[in-house]
Amino acid sequence: MNPLLVQFLSEARDTLYDIGQKLMQLEQTPDNADLMNELFRPVHTLKGNSGLFDFPEMTRVLHAGEDLMVAVRDGRVVYSREIADCLLDAMDFVGQLCDEIEQGITEVSHIDDAVRLADALRKLIAVNAARTDRVESLDNIGVPEQPKPTNFIKSKNLFSLAPVPETIRMDAFRRILKGDPLHRLVYSPVEDCFFQGDDPLHQAQQTPDVLWCAIVARESWPNLVDLDAYRCVLVFNLLTAAPSEELVELYRYVPDQVVIQPVDPLHLVIPTGDPNGGPVYEDFVAEALLHLDGGNLASLGRAARTMLELSNPDLWLSSALRWLLLLLENMPSNRAVLRTLIESLRTLTPPDWSLTDHDAAEPATEGLSENVTDSLNSLSEEDAFERDVILDAQRQILMLQDQPAWHSGRLKAVATTLINCCAAMGEIQTAAEIEAALKTGLETGSGGLLLDWLNARIGMPTLRANLSEIVQSPQGQQQTGNVISAFTDEGPKFGRRAEDQIGPRSLKVDQVKIDLLMNLIGEMVVSKNALPYLAQRAENQFGAREVAREIKAQYTVINRIVEEMQGAIMQVRMMPVSFVFQRFPRLVRDISRKLGKEVNLVLEGEETEADKNIIESLADPLIHIVRNSLDHGLETPEIRQSCGKSAAGTLIIRAKQEADRVLIEIIDDGKGIDPEVIKRKAYEKGIIDETTLEQISDRDSVNLVFGAGFSTAETVSDLSGRGVGMDVVRTGVERVNGAIQLESEVGKGTHIRISLPLSMAVTKVMIIESDGQIFGVPMDHVVETVRIRRRAIHTIKQSKTTVLRGRIVALKALNVLLEIPAEPRVNDDELAVLVVRVGSEPVGLIVDDFHETVDVIQKPLEGVLSGLSVYSGSALMGDGSVLMVLNMKEMV
Amino acid sequence: MPIDYKKNQVLFREIVGVEEAEGLLEFLHKRPAAKIDFGGCTHLHPANLQVLMAAKIRIAVWPKDANMCFWLKSALQPEK
Repeated sequence: MNPLLVQFLSEARDTLYDIGQKLMQLEQTPDNADLMNELFRPVHTLKGNSGLFDFPEMTRVLHAGEDLMVAVRDGRVVYSREIADCLLDAMDFVGQLCDEIEQGITEVSHIDDAVRLADALRKLIAVNAARTDRVESLDNIGVPEQPKPTNFIKSKNLFSLAPVPETIRMDAFRRILKGDPLHRLVYSPVEDCFFQGDDPLHQAQQTPDVLWCAIVARESWPNLVDLDAYRCVLVFNLLTAAPSEELVELYRYVPDQVVIQPVDPLHLVIPTGDPNGGPVYEDFVAEALLHLDGGNLASLGRAARTMLELSNPDLWLSSALRWLLLLLENMPSNRAVLRTLIESLRTLTPPDWSLTDHDAAEPATEGLSENVTDSLNSLSEEDAFERDVILDAQRQILMLQDQPAWHSGRLKAVATTLINCCAAMGEIQTAAEIEAALKTGLETGSGGLLLDWLNARIGMPTLRANLSEIVQSPQGQQQTGNVISAFTDEGPKFGRRAEDQIGPRSLKVDQVKIDLLMNLIGEMVVSKNALPYLAQRAENQFGAREVAREIKAQYTVINRIVEEMQGAIMQVRMMPVSFVFQRFPRLVRDISRKLGKEVNLVLEGEETEADKNIIESLADPLIHIVRNSLDHGLETPEIRQSCGKSAAGTLIIRAKQEADRVLIEIIDDGKGIDPEVIKRKAYEKGIIDETTLEQISDRDSVNLVFGAGFSTAETVSDLSGRGVGMDVVRTGVERVNGAIQLESEVGKGTHIRISLPLSMAVTKVMIIESDGQIFGVPMDHVVETVRIRRRAIHTIKQSKTTVLRGRIVALKALNVLLEIPAEPRVNDDELAVLVVRVGSEPVGLIVDDFHETVDVIQKPLEGVLSGLSVYSGSALMGDGSVLMVLNMKEMV
Repeated sequence: MPIDYKKNQVLFREIVGVEEAEGLLEFLHKRPAAKIDFGGCTHLHPANLQVLMAAKIRIAVWPKDANMCFWLKSALQPEK
């Protein structure tokens, strides 16, 4: 699988989750336009990305979904449950496709499903639109239709066509005359588009009928050292013969980044080439004009052809003649055009088509000098646009945060531009102001003063962002005024660029790599622990106390680093519980709808973190519990109301950290669990015997639901009732050293507590000795270590007991439990007893001796050894020996 | 690897994704004289294109794919 696809799949999952969540939120607040926009974005991104690959089904469904969302966003369709259902189905379908792509299943065709889903989505638009249309037609009689925002501009030339090769321009010219639409299109993707997964080049490549293209940079390229490859500064200038509807359709996801402009055929007529020493063609011009005035176009054509044959084809003259012939051929009646072209030979400057009669309606772009004497506001729209672009460019330069060696040169350049700009507008007196600002700027080495001047001058720091609006608006002139007044009060947004570049970047790392790190740090801990042994050997065997001390000193340093490193790696493995919680809103919604119940789900403490393995092991148990709560716990609205409760039940899932454990609580306000029912059921199923039935407390009896084979449901539904649920929950939780507790009050609700360790990587164990062997006992179980006189040990029936702090504690010899044929060692008539707690009762283990406690990385037993349930795992000690860690639950 | 870095040449192969841009930038910074071989390239993420444009590199071989060639030339071979 290529890396692009891998990336797409992993992003698609995140996006799908995001979409699902937003859909659910939207159901609560259907009128939230912001949310709708937020929802639209990921769907659009996903669709765009899917287009990179050949997944037509996915794209089709997403496309339909997107259309539906547009309809909702525009208010044509009212958001409803059906729409949410349909969209969720569509997203599930996309998720399924992603799974199959990942597993390499390609032969299964889903095109039917895709078509069905897409149709369903589209039908919703049609049905709803019809409904709302009717309403609107009644309400909105006489209200003019909102002008559709377009990114068409007519007046301003987007980019010069001069660099386009002549042959292409001539071809384009002919095509326009044939009736083909020709457009200039400027696509300037946003700076962070790469982070949104966009591929602007790919997008541009999709443009149909491209005659010419130039990919340029928005700003001059910095040194390679300063270049940020992931900040997009590309601008795509295209010349295309595609109809505008097609272009709008293609770029409809990025309408704000695209400007389309129809091309006037005359704007293509730009003679280019070698001037060859300057204009010396007065004879020809005079003759040609004579022919033209006399209406003798055939002679004009002949003269031009002769001249062309005599001239070098690379000359500016030849280019102009070729255009002249083309114009003669295609628009012979337009004398003014022909005249302008011929006259341009006198100066060898390209004809200014905006001045010809042909385009009289269009204001003169060269008209700066006519308007200049008045104030800024009297400029025409185009001139104001030009001026704003220039001033804005200067402001951007001044706002650059870097301080290169040529900074002073940069300031001077800005000042010169500003002075010239003002001079062109007839404001010569301001030059002095700028020069003063420049002088101070050069002395202090900052452009602040110039920037202040500029901001005061234009008073619209966010002008650039609004340029597109101005361009898009048909009443651009008016809007320019509005924008200026709207933004004069706001201060300049400094440092925005700097922020753009810093943006947080996270890495996606394969879990295998983290696991490898984890293993390595485990080995590191072990080998680090070898150092104290080495120090001991140095001292005892070789008598080198000095060396021993130094080794110990080094050990403390390494120890600190290793511990920090371990902590850091653990941190990487930490995941928020939201990873598991995120699926609940959907799950609860689906199940409660199926059961006809109303449920408010409250999630708390989603940011609580724990080790990835722990979090993952939590997923299944939690789902079981939530299903049970929904199925058995919460009642239907009618029953709830008859009990005086609110119709909608509440299900709280809460996570919090308590010391080194994570506590997960699942609380519902349903009917609770009746201990009598549980007791009876448990007895019927043979889980408890008659005596227990009599004695068991209510509290203990509700916990019987965790027993294997237990089920209270009379019938087996697809939700619960198979009698495996809660048993699976308990074993799942206990596998990661967790504990689960259940409390319930009839009629009030049920409260389940799951307590889990934060991390299962490092276990603290106490080392004990028995018959010359050492074993580890997890510290979680150790209560205390005591030495007991033999006299204090009493035998009740077959078992040994002792009294510790007024409590009877059963004693068991480790040697007996492990079937080691040896008697416990007695020291000064005392026995070493390790008191451990498993479940609720403390038990004393008779061992030979206690040693220190150590941190070990416990490895599960593998192969034939995995059958030995009495050991929970093994760990490697610093001196190379293997420590077997006892599984207290199995032993005692 | 979609990009093959030779001593003084950079070979692009098939689809060159966005993640290559960083490495490319680093290489071209060290070897500004390196030439680019697009021979086997079918798609280039624009982040890489930016780097190539900024580095003003020389092209040894244009892509075989005519469409790809057209677009790359429009960025890397400005009209005279």
